[in-house]
Amino acid sequence: MVAMSTTIITITRQALLARKEVWMTLVTLLLLAAALIGIGLYGALSQQSFVMLMMGLELMLNGVMLAAVAFWALSGAGAPEGQLLTIIVMAVMAIEMAMGFALVVAVYRGKQADMTEALSELKQ
Amino acid sequence: MNHGILVDIAFLLLAVLAVVSGWRVFRTDSMVRASFFLLLSFIAVGAIMLLLAAEYLGVAMFFMMGVEMMVMALFMVMFMMNPAGLNPMVMVHQHRISMGAGVTAFLVLGLMALLTRFPNRPLPAGLEPVASLGHEMLGGSMLIFESAAVVLLATMIGVVVLSSHRGRYGAANEGSLPPGLAPGGDPAGKPKEDQDGGHEHHHHHHH
Amino acid sequence: MILNEMVLPIIVVLAVLVGGAYSVAVMDRVIATRLGAPRAGNPWLSPLTRGAWLLVQQANVTEAPDGRAWRLAPALYLALAATGLALVPWSETLVATDLATSVVLWGSVEALATVVIFLHGWSANAPLALIGAYRYVALGLSYLLISMFVLIGVALPAESLQLTQVVMSQEGLWNVVRQPLGLPLFLVVGLGMTFWGPLNLADSTDLAGGTASEVSGPPRLVWDVARAAMLVAFSGIAASAFLGGWLGPWLSGPLWMVVKMLAVLAVLLWLGRVVPRVAPERCVTGMWVVLLPLAFVDLIWAGVAALWQ
Repeated sequence: MVAMSTTIITITRQALLARKEVWMTLVTLLLLAAALIGIGLYGALSQQSFVMLMMGLELMLNGVMLAAVAFWALSGAGAPEGQLLTIIVMAVMAIEMAMGFALVVAVYRGKQADMTEALSELKQ
Repeated sequence: MNHGILVDIAFLLLAVLAVVSGWRVFRTDSMVRASFFLLLSFIAVGAIMLLLAAEYLGVAMFFMMGVEMMVMALFMVMFMMNPAGLNPMVMVHQHRISMGAGVTAFLVLGLMALLTRFPNRPLPAGLEPVASLGHEMLGGSMLIFESAAVVLLATMIGVVVLSSHRGRYGAANEGSLPPGLAPGGDPAGKPKEDQDGGHEHHHHHHH
Repeated sequence: MILNEMVLPIIVVLAVLVGGAYSVAVMDRVIATRLGAPRAGNPWLSPLTRGAWLLVQQANVTEAPDGRAWRLAPALYLALAATGLALVPWSETLVATDLATSVVLWGSVEALATVVIFLHGWSANAPLALIGAYRYVALGLSYLLISMFVLIGVALPAESLQLTQVVMSQEGLWNVVRQPLGLPLFLVVGLGMTFWGPLNLADSTDLAGGTASEVSGPPRLVWDVARAAMLVAFSGIAASAFLGGWLGPWLSGPLWMVVKMLAVLAVLLWLGRVVPRVAPERCVTGMWVVLLPLAFVDLIWAGVAALWQ
């Protein structure tokens, strides 16, 4: 018995090398990434609560990571920097989450607020 | 036998899952559900990464996002009204503008994807994705990778400072004022307020 | 060929899932009886009786639960256990999922288990279940880091994140000897991720059953089976990472794995019966202040040993 995953990954890589498949191409992957970025942007702009706003940002970064990996696998000839970029985006997401939540905690303690409108005085 | 069709079916299902669950994040009444829909979207994208032979990144998505969304859900229950989603709720502003911005972003990026001709250079047959990533992180791009580590450390310190209940001069919810210059005097470096100055510590009530 | 590569692994995983969960139930009852608990029926039959009883029992419904998530959570936990079992190598070639990053995938199973158990407690919309869910998240976030450091420790001598490579790196010396801190720390992780015995904070009796307090009938059966199966999956990973996996004289590889997994299970179940439950706040403090630094020591130990060779 040969491992299932090895088989699946071999099949995928053969298919990608032979460009036999119809749907999973760089263009469709980039369209999917664009859709995720679009939905994320909508969320980040429209949500009133801080945490929901951060979810929009995370969804945008999700699309960015997918695009980076797609370029790495199909257009970049496996240059290792493509994978590294994705790792860096993951680190950025962790930093964004941690700082975001710490700020929400600090703001909430000061103002009992968790919505963007409550901080209108920050505009000045 | 053409196995490419299996890859295609898997990709299409995962793509639909990623988009639909990403959309549901902003269309559900419960904050906890929202964060788990986002997790679902991340998992679908991670599985697509596995299909693209990014074996480490795809799996890393699962555990990174698993923990992140768990923390997010906790914060939801802590801060948000209606965490359980028992009441319908809309908490949005500038709805039309945001919708327009989202659609515009999708159209612009989508047109770029459709109209640009990208070079067709797939992964070389013998490439080991995990080893290649490891050699890059601790080889050529070590400075970048280690800077990310330092930034993470700085984040940890910053987060503890920002969210710690204990300020430099006592508990945050008791004013956390510096001691006076003279024993029992006014807090140092703090302008006097109009009415309740004097020797007692100021208590700030915002509501 | 496709049958051999795609169907056989699924059959192996399902067989271990069912057989493993059953043997956990039997072993737990035998150990309890040996330790002097009142004998509750034939240990071979009573798990089956309880399963049949739960199967015909009506499923409880709370007021305004998140129905889909509530029914889905036990199934998802079972699916995670199956994923973990799929990673266990039975011999050099008999592995369902021989991913180049299978150690990391096991880490994600641990992380996602936290999500699923939280979902199980939260979606019931009941106070005790929610408290259990919260306690579990505190526990889960504490043991995850310990688990990661310990697993990186076993990946270092193997120079690979692949579980089969980890096993093969133990040809000369098992990791349980090479990294003496590793297995004890990892056993704590195992008790944590199945919230078993001393670390049963999520479904404990002081919460009247915690996340499962409102669950009855078939969903409860799936939940109980999933917990036992997760314990089996954990024992498989622990046996591969520390006890040399399929390596051993006389017997064939898969048999050695069964023996080693049963040994790990016996230790875990015995610990579950003799060590009292830890208070949640003490548990979290102990994990961050004592066990996490020990995990650091384990990792440095492994790193220095790997450099020495």
